[in-house]
Amino acid sequence: MVALENVSRRFPMDHQFVSALDGISLSLDAGEFVAAAGPSGSGKSTLLNLIGCIDQPTSGSIRIDEVETRRLSPAQLSELRRRKIGFVFQTFNLIPVFTAFENVEYPLLLQRVAGPERRARTREALESVGLGARAGHRPDLLSGGERQRVAVARAIVHRPALVLADEPTANLDTNNATQLIDLMRALNRQLGVTFLFATHDQRLLDHADRVIRLCDGRIVTDSTKETGNENLSFARL
Amino acid sequence: MRTFLSLAFRNIFRSRRRTLMMLLVVAGGVSALLLAGGYFSYIFWGFRETTIRNGVGHLQIFNARYFDHDETRVLENGLVGFDGVRKMAEATPHVTGVAPRIEFYGMVSNGQKSGTYMGTAVVPAAERKMHFVPDILKGRWFNLQGSESEVIVGAGLARSMNVKPGDGLTLLAVTADGALNGIDVDVVGIITTHFKELDDRLLQMTLPAAQRLLQTDRVTKLVVGLDNTDNTKAVRAVLTARLAGSEPRVILKDWQELSPMYKQIVLMFGGILAFMGVIIFFMVVMSSSNTMMMAMFERTREVGTMLAMGTPRGWVVTLFVLEGVLTGVLGAAAGLLAGNGIAAILNRAHIQLPPPPGNSTGFPLRIFHVPEYMVLASILVVLTLAAASIPPAWRASRLKVVEALSHV
Repeated sequence: MVALENVSRRFPMDHQFVSALDGISLSLDAGEFVAAAGPSGSGKSTLLNLIGCIDQPTSGSIRIDEVETRRLSPAQLSELRRRKIGFVFQTFNLIPVFTAFENVEYPLLLQRVAGPERRARTREALESVGLGARAGHRPDLLSGGERQRVAVARAIVHRPALVLADEPTANLDTNNATQLIDLMRALNRQLGVTFLFATHDQRLLDHADRVIRLCDGRIVTDSTKETGNENLSFARL
Repeated sequence: MRTFLSLAFRNIFRSRRRTLMMLLVVAGGVSALLLAGGYFSYIFWGFRETTIRNGVGHLQIFNARYFDHDETRVLENGLVGFDGVRKMAEATPHVTGVAPRIEFYGMVSNGQKSGTYMGTAVVPAAERKMHFVPDILKGRWFNLQGSESEVIVGAGLARSMNVKPGDGLTLLAVTADGALNGIDVDVVGIITTHFKELDDRLLQMTLPAAQRLLQTDRVTKLVVGLDNTDNTKAVRAVLTARLAGSEPRVILKDWQELSPMYKQIVLMFGGILAFMGVIIFFMVVMSSSNTMMMAMFERTREVGTMLAMGTPRGWVVTLFVLEGVLTGVLGAAAGLLAGNGIAAILNRAHIQLPPPPGNSTGFPLRIFHVPEYMVLASILVVLTLAAASIPPAWRASRLKVVEALSHV
């Protein structure tokens, strides 16, 4: 579903370029539950930004459902994100003046889903994250865990193929983090949505089907839980 | 769209203090325009009605030669045998009366001192019917029949001749034949037109007395009064058609043509109002665009999130412009309330203003509630706020998503 081929991303800094990702190649299949791990500055967030089409690689190719993203215009990229990708952010990033219901409803509004269907799907998404009773609350009246669950509901309500979560448990306590991990895992299995999250939370890594470890912008290991096989990218280089 | 409208509305009230300050600026601008516009409208109205009531009337009928040919003798280009014309005019809808008048000049003396006067001969009953009675300061105006020996003098002329009601004066004038004639008259009243230059020279007498003094049966013009000044244009059109084939041949002039000063005053005050509008426009633009830019910076991460979720950039522009428009609508509503409220309070306060240049008396402060200005001021601020929201809207829509998401 997602294929990266020799992707690099460099940023200009003090008259020189810093490489955030350096020749990454990987693929994600539908329904995978994948973690990108690594220390700060390893390139996890940059990887998510590139796959999420909110940033463009300096070189290399990214294909989502066989579509080469570098060939798309900004409007087409926007359309791609709207239809196929859901985002969960570390700091929740809910619209503060919207209620939980309206926040979750927003992606469907962007897709111009008709009113009754939109409301039904919003209710369904909120119930799927256990927040049906909190639909009318604004984010400032919700706990951190509840906010992140609203963010997850917002990310899956439009039935995207891929959900990208950047450090989703970083601002949560253990209890809420565990609940969120279980929730994402359940949604992954139930809806068949691919989850890719950047994290260094071991609890989350323990639940991942596949862990891609990054260091200095390169894939160090790419291992799956079932096989325990590790694809040592460094070894290939 | 409804959700976007709701989002825009709620965004306005995120920072209540800031929004309140912005609304105060906008409402202040609207109310300032309303108060200035309402006051100027009162000035226009007052000047217009004073001009008309001081004797100009709504329309005047002259001999067709009056404006094209100089008179070598008094009333050479006056109206003669005007009864048919007068009756035709009187029969026209909205006409409240037609008054023949003579305007002439002469010398006046109190036995010790002489001066010039500007005479107006009137038919008291006709003038009274049209409410063209000037403001009496002392004594009275003419009786309905009007004695031939009675005169009314302007306040300035009375002061200059040192006369009061009951005193006598001698009037001299050149007759229609070019001879000099004189009559003794009694002052029965002192009036004001509120224009100092007029008050210094004005002398009114009855039409038969003036015709006796000038030795003529002609009049200078017929003054037509209407029930409402707004009907002037329509009545003029009807009268022009009706009088087209009349004898003697006549020409019509309306009060605006006969009072070019009115047009100049309206133009001058209109310019002041437009200048005020421009100042308020820039004041609102500067303060609101700064406020909206601050609001945009505070919401950078949120805008980044919206863009990341696939919100079209055009929608982001629309959202910010909507916020500007809504702020404009709220500001306009507050400004309308404040402006009309202040106007009502000032109107009830009975504040007396000093006489303007060239006038002899002060006048009350009044502010009209003018619907046209309310609509114009509201449209102006709504458009201004919409324009002021474009730079932050454009900037928000151009944000790089990754940078916006990491904005602190």
